[in-house]
Amino acid sequence: MALFKSKKNDTKVNTNVEIVEDSRGVMDAPFLVLTLLLVGIGLVMMFSASYASAYEETNNATYYFIRQLAFSVGGTFIMIVVSRIPYQLFRAVSFPVLIIALITLALVPLIGSTVNGAKRWLDLGFISFQPSEIAKAAVIFSFAAMISTRKEKIKIIDKGILPYAAILLVFCVLLLLEPHLSGTLIIFALGVIMLYLGGMSDWWIFAGIAFAFGAGKLLIQFLPYAQERIAMYKDPWMDPSDSGYQIIQSIYAISSGGLLGLGLGKSRQKYLYLPEEHNDFIFAIVCEELGFIGATLVLVLFALLIIRGYWLSLNAYDRFGSLLIAGFTTLIALQVFLNVGVVTKLLPTTGISMPFFSYGGTALLIQLAEMGVILSVSRENGAKRKVKK
Amino acid sequence: MSDKKKNSYNKSDNSIVRRTLSLMIVCGIVAFIVLIYRLYVLQIADHEKYEKMAVQNQTKTTVVSASRGTIYDRNMDVLASSASVCNVFLDPQLIHQNEEDVNTIALALSSILDVNADKIREMAADTSQRYKVVSRKIDQQKADEVREFMSLNNIEGVGVEPDLKRYYPNSTLAAQVVGFMGEDSGLSGLEYYYNDYLEGTAGKIITAKSNTGASMLFKYEKYYDASNGESLVLTIDATVQNYLEKWMNEAIEQYDVQNGAFGIVMEAKTGAVVAMATLGGFDPNNYNQVYDQMLASELAAIPDSEARNEATMNALMKQWRNRAVSDGYEPGSTFKTITLAAALEEGAVNLNTTYNCTGETTIKGRDADDPLHCWKAVGHGLIDTPQALQGSCNIAFATIGIRLGAEKFYEYVRAFGLLDKTNIDLPGEGSGIFFDYDTLDDPNSYASLTSAAFGQTFKITPIQLVTAISSVVNGGYLMQPYVVSQVLDDEGNVVEETVPTAVRQVISEETSATMCTILESVVEEGTASGAKVVGYRIGGKTGTSEKIDEFDENGELVEDKIVSFVGIAPMEDPEYVVLVALDTPSTETGLYISGGQMAAPTVRKVLDDILPYLGVEAHYTEEELQNVDTVVPYMNGLTEEEASKILTEKGFEYTTVGDGTTVTDQIPAASSTVPRSAKIILYMGEEKPVDTVTVPNLVGYTIEDVKYIMNFNTGIYLKTEGATHSSSDSSAIYSSGQSIEPGTEVDRGTVITVEFIDTTAND
Repeated sequence: MALFKSKKNDTKVNTNVEIVEDSRGVMDAPFLVLTLLLVGIGLVMMFSASYASAYEETNNATYYFIRQLAFSVGGTFIMIVVSRIPYQLFRAVSFPVLIIALITLALVPLIGSTVNGAKRWLDLGFISFQPSEIAKAAVIFSFAAMISTRKEKIKIIDKGILPYAAILLVFCVLLLLEPHLSGTLIIFALGVIMLYLGGMSDWWIFAGIAFAFGAGKLLIQFLPYAQERIAMYKDPWMDPSDSGYQIIQSIYAISSGGLLGLGLGKSRQKYLYLPEEHNDFIFAIVCEELGFIGATLVLVLFALLIIRGYWLSLNAYDRFGSLLIAGFTTLIALQVFLNVGVVTKLLPTTGISMPFFSYGGTALLIQLAEMGVILSVSRENGAKRKVKK
Repeated sequence: MSDKKKNSYNKSDNSIVRRTLSLMIVCGIVAFIVLIYRLYVLQIADHEKYEKMAVQNQTKTTVVSASRGTIYDRNMDVLASSASVCNVFLDPQLIHQNEEDVNTIALALSSILDVNADKIREMAADTSQRYKVVSRKIDQQKADEVREFMSLNNIEGVGVEPDLKRYYPNSTLAAQVVGFMGEDSGLSGLEYYYNDYLEGTAGKIITAKSNTGASMLFKYEKYYDASNGESLVLTIDATVQNYLEKWMNEAIEQYDVQNGAFGIVMEAKTGAVVAMATLGGFDPNNYNQVYDQMLASELAAIPDSEARNEATMNALMKQWRNRAVSDGYEPGSTFKTITLAAALEEGAVNLNTTYNCTGETTIKGRDADDPLHCWKAVGHGLIDTPQALQGSCNIAFATIGIRLGAEKFYEYVRAFGLLDKTNIDLPGEGSGIFFDYDTLDDPNSYASLTSAAFGQTFKITPIQLVTAISSVVNGGYLMQPYVVSQVLDDEGNVVEETVPTAVRQVISEETSATMCTILESVVEEGTASGAKVVGYRIGGKTGTSEKIDEFDENGELVEDKIVSFVGIAPMEDPEYVVLVALDTPSTETGLYISGGQMAAPTVRKVLDDILPYLGVEAHYTEEELQNVDTVVPYMNGLTEEEASKILTEKGFEYTTVGDGTTVTDQIPAASSTVPRSAKIILYMGEEKPVDTVTVPNLVGYTIEDVKYIMNFNTGIYLKTEGATHSSSDSSAIYSSGQSIEPGTEVDRGTVITVEFIDTTAND
């Protein structure tokens, strides 16, 4: 429990945040517990799902698990560290993060590594990551910072919305170049929701949504792979051995689970049937092994996390904090919905990972750091309340 | 600062709270309800549908072949059994497609399996396939060689899989009855008819496989046990079958039979088939080869490949055919047995009814210039009913037929099962060709009725005839013939057992007994004296028939004949009915082509072997006792008095040579078997002559002449076989064969068997 409490002797480290430090309390325990629970369950499921392909690819069944475990521990540590950072400091980092995101995204088409026909990864030698992950955080940080300082201007078109729109447009264009349709969608949705929470008029919201639809339709016309995915989404059995293969295998996995599941570790589809079984499609394995009950439980945990997130947002100490929490919570919600939607063929296939579950070290680190941001904000609203009463 | 922040928070728009709340509801509740609903649809509602598809997708079904049941004869000797063998196949997708590897594989497999190396290279190159069989059903040793080669050379892409091969240890024995196996199921005979029993149910191992086909790390296996095939125990006795085939083969040789032969041995009381043969046959181990070597080379010489293939196919179809059940034939005079049984049963004639045979007679409905001829041109004279059958008189049987009448005749033909298939448990049973009832029952013509009454101008199957004759002698019961007596499960427990079934009683026991007496007299006094077996009471009926529906290349009816004989033994309580029919004996053997001269002696030889084997007790008449085979005792060192006592006990006569006090040598040698009539020579001190004796010609003489000749050939012992009297004239008995060729030098004491036939038995 010592972790949750701020230590008074920390105050002398940075005099700039002295006042804030004074008001800091404990971080939100339910949110932390939910996060850790999901990370734990995610880790176990990732182990189970990756078992076969790890063995096949590296002859070491725990290959992916060991790495994910290391990143989980490291990520949790980072989350705690970040949660101890006074969140007002994030105002200051929002602009540098935005710049970093833009630079890395711009670098992707030049030096990115190609995976499955798309350049989404940046390999810096010691670390490889998707700049789109940084871009998402950058949008949240910068929009939260901008909105919370210049709230009134949001309704004015020329000075208000333009910077936001410009940022979104640049990001979206860069992501589309990769191409990274789902990333584009998430960034755009995040931006619009941030503006929505920032008080943008309903008209603009509708305009934004309409624009997104129009642009989406247009994009699909021009992106052959998107068209193919739509077609496969409509009837994957048209081509079960090739383009429809993955989604069919995913449905087999999910459906095989039934009510109670085949039991932890007993998935059959993970035996090299379901591609990306420990990545984007890990939730299918969750469904297969844990059944409808287990999968629903996992979704309920996510739902609770998200609801708790918005609740923390409502109770944030200030507007910046509120927007930060809402932004990252929305990010989690979008990822979970799109991921599960894709895996269950509710939506056309697109590459979105499942937060905390999918394999991927840097993504997990970033997600946990983002949870750290939420927890950091939560320290203050919680503390305030207690002080007040 | 603190207050300002708080204000800013408090001042925040109400709408922000509303918007956050609505986001909370949409993202935290509605979205998840949608997702959970989707999971419900997939995991609960459509669970079974997709699960089935998934399991199909995930599992590899390995078929565990059930081992095929064995076919045993009645003494549990194996007629057909399966052994484990292997198939060798290539998986071209796994073979490293470089010249070196392909060459290594091609050369190694070619030398182990004796397959053309180029053919293997061709298979290896076809990477569109993953299963190319190089060699089927190779034995374990070769399979091991292939495996060894693979592991030594670290070769991938060559597979060895287990399979089963069918073996027929007795080769051609009862080939058409047992049948043969094709790739994986029986194609003919019992192998085909009982395929469902024999093949069992293949088992399955459903193994979860990964997408690369390998088994998974976690076990997921379901076993569906293979249930091995059931075994058959036949009523066939391999030994009896062997004797039947042996003597039929001999007859084919002796009489130069052109078109094969068929024969049946049936248990008269049960309908169980003890032996059933069709010659020339085939070897089921190599069923696809023409067995007759001469025919095979003739076929190979046909230049046109299409014509050759067709001719070969016809030859194969012919050799596979079980004529004993599949083909109708003209029964000829053997059928008179049926007519007579019906007539006696109906009282149309009795034993004292007389017939006057003058050699020919006019029949209503036949042209005046085409009178009915008896086979005996001079006629049988005035004869009674038993004599009519003994002499196989056509004219008498025409009369019997007319007396019986078409209606009754037809009724009995049906009752004896000759119009229906017997439903024996063999495939491809044929049915004969018989007259319409209307043709028989023609008030203006007896032509058809009379022909039918003595067995001409229609066809029935051999199995129909044997079954019907069995009923004539077994008390009148038409039995359901069968070949399989028991079905055994995997562990040898009896699963099914055939109970002898009487289809109906056709004639009374009294009529049956009368028929037995008459049938015995046919052998004792009639045309079938060639069938006489020493020590046994034999009955039977000869038959010689012209083919009614085979034409030569000029469209003329061929004069080919089928000669046959149905023998019954022992007549005191008939147990076995034996039919042998020889299709088209050569006209150049010097013998008259007739059942009496050809088929009856063949049946005698069969009976002579099988009756003692089957445990039928022999009873010798005084006359026969003279001829009974007796083992010569060892008498060296005995005094004449002692030797005389032993020999007299055995029934031998003897003479002595020399004047010593003890026996120093003897002819024939001790332990040899000679007829009791043989005179034993005891050497008392005198040297036994060591010279050989030249075998004289003994064929073509009467018994008296033969005995006379033998008087000049001391040191050779005579054994007579076959006919001892004739239906018409005792001087008509002539020797027709001898066991050792004339001119052969033989040791003193050798026994020579001379066969006699009734040369007037021309039916």
